[in-house]
Amino acid sequence: MDFAGKFKVFWELFIERGGWERVLKVGLVNTLLIAVLGLLIGIVLGTLIAAVKVMPKYKLLPRILDKICTVYVGFFRGTPLVVQLLITYYVLWPLMGVTITSLNTSIIVFGLNSAAYVSEIMRGGLLSVDGGQMEAGRALGLSYGTTMLKIVIPQAIKNILPTLGNEFIALIKDTSVVSFIAAIDLTKTFTEIGNVRYEYFMPYLAMAVFYIILVFLISCGVKAMERSLRKSDRSH
Amino acid sequence: MIEVIDLCKSFGNLQVLNNITETIHEGEKVVVIGPSGSGKSTFLRCLNCMEDPTSGSIIFEGEDLADMKVDINKHRQNIGMVFQQFNLFNNKTVLENITLAPVHLKKMTPEEAKEKGMELLRRVGLEDKADVYPSTLSGGQKQRAAIVRALAMNPKVILFDEPTSALDPEMVGEVLDVMKQLAAEGMTMVVVTHEMGFAREVADRILFMDGGQIAEQGTPEEVFGNPQHPRTKEFLSKVL
Repeated sequence: MDFAGKFKVFWELFIERGGWERVLKVGLVNTLLIAVLGLLIGIVLGTLIAAVKVMPKYKLLPRILDKICTVYVGFFRGTPLVVQLLITYYVLWPLMGVTITSLNTSIIVFGLNSAAYVSEIMRGGLLSVDGGQMEAGRALGLSYGTTMLKIVIPQAIKNILPTLGNEFIALIKDTSVVSFIAAIDLTKTFTEIGNVRYEYFMPYLAMAVFYIILVFLISCGVKAMERSLRKSDRSH
Repeated sequence: MIEVIDLCKSFGNLQVLNNITETIHEGEKVVVIGPSGSGKSTFLRCLNCMEDPTSGSIIFEGEDLADMKVDINKHRQNIGMVFQQFNLFNNKTVLENITLAPVHLKKMTPEEAKEKGMELLRRVGLEDKADVYPSTLSGGQKQRAAIVRALAMNPKVILFDEPTSALDPEMVGEVLDVMKQLAAEGMTMVVVTHEMGFAREVADRILFMDGGQIAEQGTPEEVFGNPQHPRTKEFLSKVL
């Protein structure tokens, strides 16, 4: 195989003709945008679902909400992400008669999808907070919701931050499928470079290295966060 | 102040409280004693519906707290509670622990709550701990802070659920001192405890519970000096 030739072609397209610019400014930016905003939506929605899951079930409303959440989580964990993207973009939007860009659709679907996973992580986090915290809040006359919001959820989030970091890494990698609905992410921009000369060897190799570096940097960030959290636990 | 009528509580098939009728009067210090499993903590926790009674009524300020339609949060603002495990909010500083509920429930402005909180902390000797997190405090300090948190709501009655049982022996005194001070100021108190010395010194009335019922009650002199019920005699002979 002509490695030197393949490398020369890639070098020409990626460096000399400015392919890197599109990879960074469009591909990387979109990948991060989908993962970061998706995770944020996931955390907000996932926390709500988890709160419903751990709610006492004496009354009818929490029981109905609980069923809805179970179906939701079941759907999003039971179907592939690609299927969710395709269904939303090609079935749901036309049915609803709305036009939403493939990038925004990706953000929404990633958010809804990660909510299902975050809700399970968050449920564990909520259960890890000592029950006495809720009792103390309620005994003071605070409502269930207020005690959740001000006391239990902040402590739960602190406990699950490292796990959320892993969820973020998973989301970053999962973004590589958004080209199914024609969104442009890292993977897509490297494919485009390959498409110019139908020469994919180097672009895809470089792409893999790019992802590894990206994930490595994020794991370093997550580890640093974990360390600083543990430190604040000691000093408390 | 609190009227308990025919209170029953079961957990599944296990009946923990069996038809208790009892009145806590204003300004009264009632100490509940009894062997473990006798239902004393459950009885106390039913008073502010931390445990929902299975049947019976808890009449407080003219309303039945056992009625699910009653706004329990409103009434709990007037019923302080101190827990065995302190249950200070771990994510809040000591002062924030104290001011959170009065400010959020619009009982006080943040400034008033802060001022009141600092004044109460001074009274229990914790003013220098206002800005630290609970995890840096000793057990005795945590419990004193927890008492201040309950007091900051200006409750009409405070329920103490074995407040010294989780403490190292040398810290029991500092917490009991705060409770004695409260008692001397006329606070209505219901205390579940194993501290017989405290019961004897502070109580207006002792309730001895056994098997989910109040087996015997009376002044400390009566209950400790001349117990009538055989179970009371047996219990006291073990703990005194």
